Amino acid sequence: QPPRSCEDYWWEWKHCRGLRHAFHHYYAHGELPACRRWRDDYEACRAWEKGRAAAAQEALCKSERARVMEKQKYAPVWTLRKSPPPDWHRPLDQDK
Amino acid sequence: MKEEDSASPPVAEEEDDFGYRLFPDRNKKPQSFLARSFFTFHNRCQVMLRMTLETNPYAQLLLEAMKQSGCTVFNDRHFACEDCDGCVSGGFDSATSQIVLCQNNIRQQSHMNRVVTHELIHAFDHCRAHVDWFKNVKHLACSEIRAANLSGDCTLMNEIARFKFGLKGHHQTCVRDRAIRSILAVRKVSKETAQKAVDEVFDACFNDLEPFGRIPHSKADAKRAYRDFQNRDRYNANL
Repeated sequence: QPPRSCEDYWWEWKHCRGLRHAFHHYYAHGELPACRRWRDDYEACRAWEKGRAAAAQEALCKSERARVMEKQKYAPVWTLRKSPPPDWHRPLDQDK
Repeated sequence: MKEEDSASPPVAEEEDDFGYRLFPDRNKKPQSFLARSFFTFHNRCQVMLRMTLETNPYAQLLLEAMKQSGCTVFNDRHFACEDCDGCVSGGFDSATSQIVLCQNNIRQQSHMNRVVTHELIHAFDHCRAHVDWFKNVKHLACSEIRAANLSGDCTLMNEIARFKFGLKGHHQTCVRDRAIRSILAVRKVSKETAQKAVDEVFDACFNDLEPFGRIPHSKADAKRAYRDFQNRDRYNANL
């Protein structure tokens, strides 16, 4: 199945094109948003659902993987933990 | 301590107290039950906190994300309403894994929502990563950038209320400034050191949007982000 439901792609596209989002994007990034990609993803998702077209599946997955890669563009500042901090649940009077 | 809405930078020369002087009730015995009667700041703080944790989508997403990371948050263990000095609104005490809320400085529910979100982001960072709060200024800077970015601290309305005006990309200017102010309030470092640390980590940390996946500019955005978070297993499995 597609990574997100087709309604989610539709929602993201409609939201992206709205005035409110355009304002917030300009305020945060200094430029207007590019929404074309959400529309392409929505159409690929629909094609996937209708006919299981391999090309549509590949295009959609490639687009989503690219989104993930964009988020991992920068080297992290800290190392991630493998388990939570051991003293997170320690009772308070033991900390003193 | 990590804190927000700081007063002016601390006086130098003494050893670094890591901001604890702003929270004089830390490491003191809690007040007796009779001292904390109805209609006190303490009571109001508790009521507003409860409202935030139960209804605010920013807080709910962070609580869920922390639970998934193994740090379930309990109201009575991980939150403390205390009196604080100056204009401080809250802080995260990594030594005791507690979020401190300044009952004498938080007057409105919307402010409580923002402070809780801000401090929960610090707690989330503490939970998922080895953050060296006390010795590494870059780690502190990173968490402050994220907290200012994602908690709603830097909305246009909040900035206008502080008489800071700007539009194109002003969010980033606000995030930088607030991160620097927060660092200066809790560490005995020079403004140049704080600025340098923020500049070095800004790109990486401004773009680290975990667990929201987007910059939430409204409760609707936060609700959407919560929904995406709940669906992330499906998302990761089908990439």
